[in-house]
Amino acid sequence: MKKKSIIKLAALCMSSVLLFAGCGKSGQGTEETGGEGKEAAGQEVTLNLAYQYGIAYAPLGIIKEQKLIEKAYEEATGGKVTVNWNQMSSGADINTGISGGSLDGGFMGVGPAVTGVTKGVGYKIFTNLSGQEHGLMTNDENIKSFDDLIGSSNQIALVNIGSIQHIILGLALEKAGKDPHSLDSNLVAMAHPDGMTALESGNVSCHLTSSPYIFQEREESNLHEISDVTEVWGKDDSFIVGVASVKLHDENPKLYQALCDAVKQAVDFINDSPEEAAEITCEFDGNSAEDELAYIKKSKYSVETSRIFELASFMGRTEFIDTTPESYEDLVFDNVTGD
Amino acid sequence: MDEKKRKIQAIVARTLFIIAILCIWEIVAKSGIMGSNSELIFPPLEAIGAAFIRNFQTGMAGVSLWVYIGNSMALLLEGLLIGIVLAFVLSGLSMLSRVFYDIFNLVISICDLLPGVALLPVVIIIFGVKPGVIVFLVIHAVLWPMARNVLDGFLAVPRIYVEAGMNIGLKKSSLLLGVYLPAATSYIVSGLKVGWARAWRGLISAEMIFGVASCPGIGLFINQMRTNMNNAEMYATLIVIIIIGLVVQYGVLSPIEKCTVKKWGMSR
Amino acid sequence: MTEKENCILEVQNLSKVFDADTEREKEVLKNVNLNVDRNEFLCMLGPSGCGKTTLLRCIAGFESYEGKVLVNGMERKQPGIDRVMVFQDFNQLFPWKTVEKNIQYPLKINGIRDKAELKQRTQEVLDKVRLSGHEKYYPYQLSGGMKQRVAIAKALALKPEIILMDEPFAALDAMTRRELQEELLRISMEEKCTFIFITHNIQEAIVLGTRIMVLAEGGRIVEDEKNVIARPVTPASQGYGEIWERMHNALYQ
Repeated sequence: MKKKSIIKLAALCMSSVLLFAGCGKSGQGTEETGGEGKEAAGQEVTLNLAYQYGIAYAPLGIIKEQKLIEKAYEEATGGKVTVNWNQMSSGADINTGISGGSLDGGFMGVGPAVTGVTKGVGYKIFTNLSGQEHGLMTNDENIKSFDDLIGSSNQIALVNIGSIQHIILGLALEKAGKDPHSLDSNLVAMAHPDGMTALESGNVSCHLTSSPYIFQEREESNLHEISDVTEVWGKDDSFIVGVASVKLHDENPKLYQALCDAVKQAVDFINDSPEEAAEITCEFDGNSAEDELAYIKKSKYSVETSRIFELASFMGRTEFIDTTPESYEDLVFDNVTGD
Repeated sequence: MDEKKRKIQAIVARTLFIIAILCIWEIVAKSGIMGSNSELIFPPLEAIGAAFIRNFQTGMAGVSLWVYIGNSMALLLEGLLIGIVLAFVLSGLSMLSRVFYDIFNLVISICDLLPGVALLPVVIIIFGVKPGVIVFLVIHAVLWPMARNVLDGFLAVPRIYVEAGMNIGLKKSSLLLGVYLPAATSYIVSGLKVGWARAWRGLISAEMIFGVASCPGIGLFINQMRTNMNNAEMYATLIVIIIIGLVVQYGVLSPIEKCTVKKWGMSR
Repeated sequence: MTEKENCILEVQNLSKVFDADTEREKEVLKNVNLNVDRNEFLCMLGPSGCGKTTLLRCIAGFESYEGKVLVNGMERKQPGIDRVMVFQDFNQLFPWKTVEKNIQYPLKINGIRDKAELKQRTQEVLDKVRLSGHEKYYPYQLSGGMKQRVAIAKALALKPEIILMDEPFAALDAMTRRELQEELLRISMEEKCTFIFITHNIQEAIVLGTRIMVLAEGGRIVEDEKNVIARPVTPASQGYGEIWERMHNALYQ
């Protein structure tokens, strides 16, 4: 009786192992249509991309709307590509997606991108996308510099511990001659809108945020800005970058090229005719066309990276990441320009 | 003897099951069938084991995982305690006043549906940015299922116990304490089980979204490990969470059950 | 005057309506009048639905009603420990308390806190129902008959004026039932206590009762007489057949 039930259990275990293995195989099957896509003309391939939400991703709205990747690929190969756009909520999610093979690339903050590259997720940066303004706002008129914050019980809201905003804070602290982690115990992780609410209601004294929230907060008379953060990493410096899997780059160079070209075209379009671009992307972002245009004009869209190696070195030096990259080339594919 | 045999059988079956799961994990991790970088998402067991030890030795930012656990547990206990007491008091009042019952019943039905995390903005405005927010969310997680169970338990008390209680001179609040409360024990115990599980999960998800760096908890630790792609450390922390959950289940809740409903022959 | 003094329970013009002002409205008790003497063992017989249980519950204070219930000349509306009820349901003991605690708890609530006295009273009543040695048992460990014995012991410990019993032996098997009848008879003869005992069973009424009553629809009293047969009563006792016949006719008329 006992023996029988154990045999039964063993059989159950075996079958579940097989089931899992089966799932794994079929997962691999679908993946083949992705990054590994065949080069032969006329063959249909799929490209899975992830992005996040906000004005910094505006060029992606253009790419999607005008089917720039599809067009570029067809021009180059005569073949067809189906692009799947997935909206995800954090760079960490996108990292997991790419390392698992369900995504071929994505767009995210330069912080998680550097983390992903140095962790060996299997991707590199293939383009810069945009730069934004960041700022540290406070509702307490007695807070004028970092000296008023270090060692105090004032709380600083930002979107996540280890986020690009956190790293920028560290950079600014280092530049001011302080320990880059000296404000870590003052941090509170809150989504941008929650942080704004908390600052306005006086529940935190500082909020380190990016556009468009920073613009809204700057308009409020009872808040003021601590300029160290604003100056250390501005809109000319990389904020959102695009990453592509090494597999896509190596095994399907034409599709990879089409992706790079599409981003370049969209960035050019948004810079050349921002009014027209705003009309398109406002729907993508859910803003009025007027606001969208104003935000676009306050952003910088470029395919050229800025200071990402400096940022990565800083992250390595100050233990935001475990492995420090040795060169700019470690971070980006060879078509990328900038520093 | 038969009892003992069954127990051994249960232990053998469970052990085999866990070993099977671990084997599947190891096969998936080592074979690379989940993609070329699968060791990042499915780190092999030895990596998770090493990360488990590392979590407690070096931890994060030089602080051992023990400290994070301690912070979380302190907030959890505070929330659980307040939540459970509130559930009893409010359910008790509902039994004494019909109007209160009608309102409280509605409040439970509404509040039990609200995900605690969605309340964060409101809670922050009311309570400010303090660890107290987490306590509030724990209370929210435990109070409603607990109150629902206690109330259901009170309503399900057999009429005969109530009459036997009135028969010996119990009235209103003494009837509540002397009859309703013990008679509803099996409901209360299952309320505790549900409430504890909800509170534990609620705590971790709240900490993952709303992290106070001055009082960092397990949720923050997990989130950090995830952000930094330290998946082995993340899984090791999940194992810690499971272990704590099991310890509470078998070390606290089961004994409570054994000393009450099982001993009284009242288990449902 | 002495007659008045000897009367422990008076029920005056008691009426009870279920589901008043609805289609299912039913008048269960209609102007019931009843006097019970001190130390009487009153057995009430009646067909199902005649309102005997409702009458008992009204006396116990579990139901609202029109009319009056007087104990020792004082009106009673709420349950109280001067009238303790023993139910038919075996589950009347609290399952979360041991036999001993089930007996002591009502005493504690009613102000007896002295440990020695609690202990002594528990012993006494358990002896009376022949359950000594079962103090530490939980109710689920007892048989139905034992549970009813504990319920009787629990009632006795409170030393009430009246013990109300609603078919306490109806759910027992015939042998246990006979046994418990004998116990109760012995106890009722030793105790200075009034019993009102509801039953379906004519034999039970004749064996236990010093007065037997038959109720009909609406709580109407159709038969009410003293039981003069010498105790202990057996079917062979003188007059048993006649009284049985009368009760049977009253019951099934």
